[in-house]
Amino acid sequence: MASRVVVREHINGWLFIAPALILLGIFMIYPIIWSLWMSFQTGRGMNFSFGGLANIQRLFADTVFLRALGNTMIFLVVQVPIMIILALLFAVALNDTKLWGRSFFRTAIFLPCVTSLVAYAVLFKSMFSAEGVVNATLVGLGLDPVPWLTDPFWAKVLIIMAITWRWTGYNMIFYLAALQNVDRSIYEAARIDGVPPWARFLYITLPMLKPVILFTTVISTIGTLQLFDEPYNITQGGPSQATLTLSYYIYDLTFRFMPSFGYSATVSWVIVVLVGILTFVQFLVAREGRRA
Amino acid sequence: MTTTETSAGVVRRSTTSAMNPHILFRSLQRALLYIALSIAAFISIFPFYWMVVGSTNTSPDIAHGKASPGSYLFQNVAAFFATVDVPRMFWNSALLALVGVALTLIVSSLAGYGFEMFKSRFRDRIFGFLLLMLSIPFAALMVPLFIMMSNLKLINTFTAVLLPGIASIFIIFYFRQATKAFPGELRDAARIDGLNEWQIFVYVYLPVMRSTYAAAIIIIFMANWNSYLWPLIILITEENKTVTLIVSALSYAYVPDYGVIMISAVFATLPTVLIFFLLQRRFVEGMLGSVK
Amino acid sequence: MRIMFNRRHLIGAALAGVSMLATASAAFAVDVTIWCWDTNFNGAAMKEAAARYNAAHPDVNIIIDDSDTQDNIRQKLQTQLLAGTTEGLPDIVLIQDDQAKKYLLSFPGAFEPIGDTIDMTQFANYKVAAATVDGKSYSLPFDSGVVGFFYRSDYFSEAGFSDADLQNLTWDQLIEIGKTVKEKTGHELFGIDYNEVGWIRMMLNSAGQWYFNPDGTLNLVGNPTFKAALKVYQDIWTNGLAKPVSGWTDFTNSFTSGDVAGVPIGVWIVGTIKANAAADSGKWAVAPVPRLDVEGSINASNWGGSSWYVLASSPTDEKAAALDFLKTVWAGDVDFYQKILVGQGAVGTWLQAREGDAYKSSDEFFGGQPVWQNFSNWLAQVPDVDYGIFTSEVDSAISAQLPTIAQGGDLDAAIEAINAQATQATQ
Repeated sequence: MASRVVVREHINGWLFIAPALILLGIFMIYPIIWSLWMSFQTGRGMNFSFGGLANIQRLFADTVFLRALGNTMIFLVVQVPIMIILALLFAVALNDTKLWGRSFFRTAIFLPCVTSLVAYAVLFKSMFSAEGVVNATLVGLGLDPVPWLTDPFWAKVLIIMAITWRWTGYNMIFYLAALQNVDRSIYEAARIDGVPPWARFLYITLPMLKPVILFTTVISTIGTLQLFDEPYNITQGGPSQATLTLSYYIYDLTFRFMPSFGYSATVSWVIVVLVGILTFVQFLVAREGRRA
Repeated sequence: MTTTETSAGVVRRSTTSAMNPHILFRSLQRALLYIALSIAAFISIFPFYWMVVGSTNTSPDIAHGKASPGSYLFQNVAAFFATVDVPRMFWNSALLALVGVALTLIVSSLAGYGFEMFKSRFRDRIFGFLLLMLSIPFAALMVPLFIMMSNLKLINTFTAVLLPGIASIFIIFYFRQATKAFPGELRDAARIDGLNEWQIFVYVYLPVMRSTYAAAIIIIFMANWNSYLWPLIILITEENKTVTLIVSALSYAYVPDYGVIMISAVFATLPTVLIFFLLQRRFVEGMLGSVK
Repeated sequence: MRIMFNRRHLIGAALAGVSMLATASAAFAVDVTIWCWDTNFNGAAMKEAAARYNAAHPDVNIIIDDSDTQDNIRQKLQTQLLAGTTEGLPDIVLIQDDQAKKYLLSFPGAFEPIGDTIDMTQFANYKVAAATVDGKSYSLPFDSGVVGFFYRSDYFSEAGFSDADLQNLTWDQLIEIGKTVKEKTGHELFGIDYNEVGWIRMMLNSAGQWYFNPDGTLNLVGNPTFKAALKVYQDIWTNGLAKPVSGWTDFTNSFTSGDVAGVPIGVWIVGTIKANAAADSGKWAVAPVPRLDVEGSINASNWGGSSWYVLASSPTDEKAAALDFLKTVWAGDVDFYQKILVGQGAVGTWLQAREGDAYKSSDEFFGGQPVWQNFSNWLAQVPDVDYGIFTSEVDSAISAQLPTIAQGGDLDAAIEAINAQATQATQ
């Protein structure tokens, strides 16, 4: 009797995920295997030959690759924490039902992520141009204009600001949704017991939100490691390759340079390995936290 | 000091005993919160203002950073409609986005539910593997996918645009995380009532998870509406082009008309903003309804 | 493949008999698809060509798609050639000259040797050379990127320089003049984007050089021309004569808005200047591009320019129609070239085109100068260079160093760094 239930559970488990698995097998796993196989091939255009680990050796001598890797890591380390913390703070502030203008703030902060990528790239480029509205404001405040698009350092800052502008509200919505599912009576009880707000945040909200925080962190890590659209549309990877990312380099290797598909496949596997490591670390941290 | 919360009662009390330093501190904190939120809202909304104002100005005015409304809106709209086949591109984008939302929602929510509800070590491994696959940059998969679509004779079809995205690892992941909050008692109760697993999914899970679905619709719609790289490669002929592709082409013209670009950005953003506002109410209702 | 059989055509073909089959393509309605990237420039020129061809060949349906950017076209072309698929490809595609060798050598057999059908000696030699591999020419040359120094004559005269003072200069002389202009008018000489390597390329080209030796190896370290070009670039910046810009439109705005005093660039910019600086008509002028102070450098160079390629994979009838179309209009219609010169500012590279009236006219926008005649004279002098297959890779290596160079960094160190990255990328 019990075993029949187990078998039925098992069959159902497979049936629910079958359509997705079949589609993923065809449109994801097959191309991935193809790309894995390609990463061991060398050659230009469509003339390939087996190169063994030649592509991996090439990585370590490739200054452009190392620069793209460095840039990507900077974006990751700086941008993701800023965005996650901002999103969390906004979500907690806006979860307060007594906050005046709550739905206005929520909508306003979420709005950036519904713009189309192309539209927002055009807007940021024009607002942050040398004599754009941002610099005009800075000058009006008696400050020096900032070379946003033409200085390697500020171009990185601009890209970080652009991504943060677009995606903070997006992450906030995940937290807000999760907070709605948190039982309010727990807060009430804590409040009556005299637990101060910061402690409620730390000891009730954060642990409750942990699965969602983990989820958004992993997704943002992946998104940043694959960062392409913003540097491509706002800074063209420049100036001086200051905003060149790994995905951008893959694009260059595939479409702009003499097509060297094996090598570009190798670079994309670097991203996979990085995400694998980082996700593992993030899950470990989350688990440690739960035990503590 | 039992109640420090800024409940209605406390606020009322604070007016009567304004000298209480603790309550003064509270009010200050409140004011700072509003200032921070207002700044965030301003930063979030300003580019939209810039875009809308831009669409009413002439191309040279925009290039010179004019930030006040002009009287050129009608001419820009007329020029936009004269340059591109606006109804056609809207139809294409809407069709792709809506069909994409329906298919992705069905396949991916089933899988997310399946992975979480029917736990097995093997399926968990598969899921972990899928998460890792999420990190592969699309640029790396594009060429093999393209070959596949070409073998299937699907080049320049909407089917080819949609197929790789229907089983979205991201949406599966999202539904799996959300399902963790789905109360197990509901499922047990439904089982006792004699519902089979599929009935439970349709009649119990779906209504309870309305807010999750509403958020997923927004996410998928935006992703499909803004999708750029893959449609660019797959959709060859002009009559199949989407809004995003057209806006991008306009903004990269050698002699760009900024007025037309701004109005096209407005048009490209309108549907996603609309969907968001449309669903936001449902979204909130759904959340309130799902909190017991 | 996409032939439409209607009765009239069938009867016609039957009556004509076997002899007709050789040229049958013209007898059926054929779709010829074309990709190019600028509605106001090459797209407009192609539409004019199509209209002219259709007057005599109404059964050829020419479909021009100019809705994509050049980057996107490269991407679509490269994806499909890599995938080995052809169904999504057009019959004719426009490719920028410096990219041609890369495509021709990476995808052998993908393009039709046009030189077998059309006499290539009718075109400017450097254009033909850019698309010739193993003695076969694969492109129908389109526009020239012959460089002129476009400048605001009102700014220069305010600073005390007449048009005559700007003829046949070296870069060092122009920099000296530029200092005075900056001092007197407050306008920088140029707007420069750090990502734009065109400046260096233009200077190299004026000396008949490119990044490579004839055998394809890199010619950067120890190359006096390359170093001289970087030195000029550095001097422009360190003398405060460059205004930093970002992206193409920011770049074009810098001169069309009158913010900077001029721009040395390919003749194809004329359309942009006229469209965006219409209010300043008559204040603009064109002088020959300055030369480098090294042996072999002359006051003529090239920046950009592109050519038409026929895809070898096209169905036979479409390919035949495409070739016939190119031959009839692009290698045989003098009037057509006058029309696109006046309409789009497109300086063709079909030598006979220069005999037309439009090339002899003067232009009020440029203060009544005979600009087209000047451009064709310079065009005839442009030294031809071999772009090789790795131009984009070296471009990228150079652009990585340009900000350092602009800030006065050591040139030899920069050249070493460029060479190291380029060597790595071109393996």
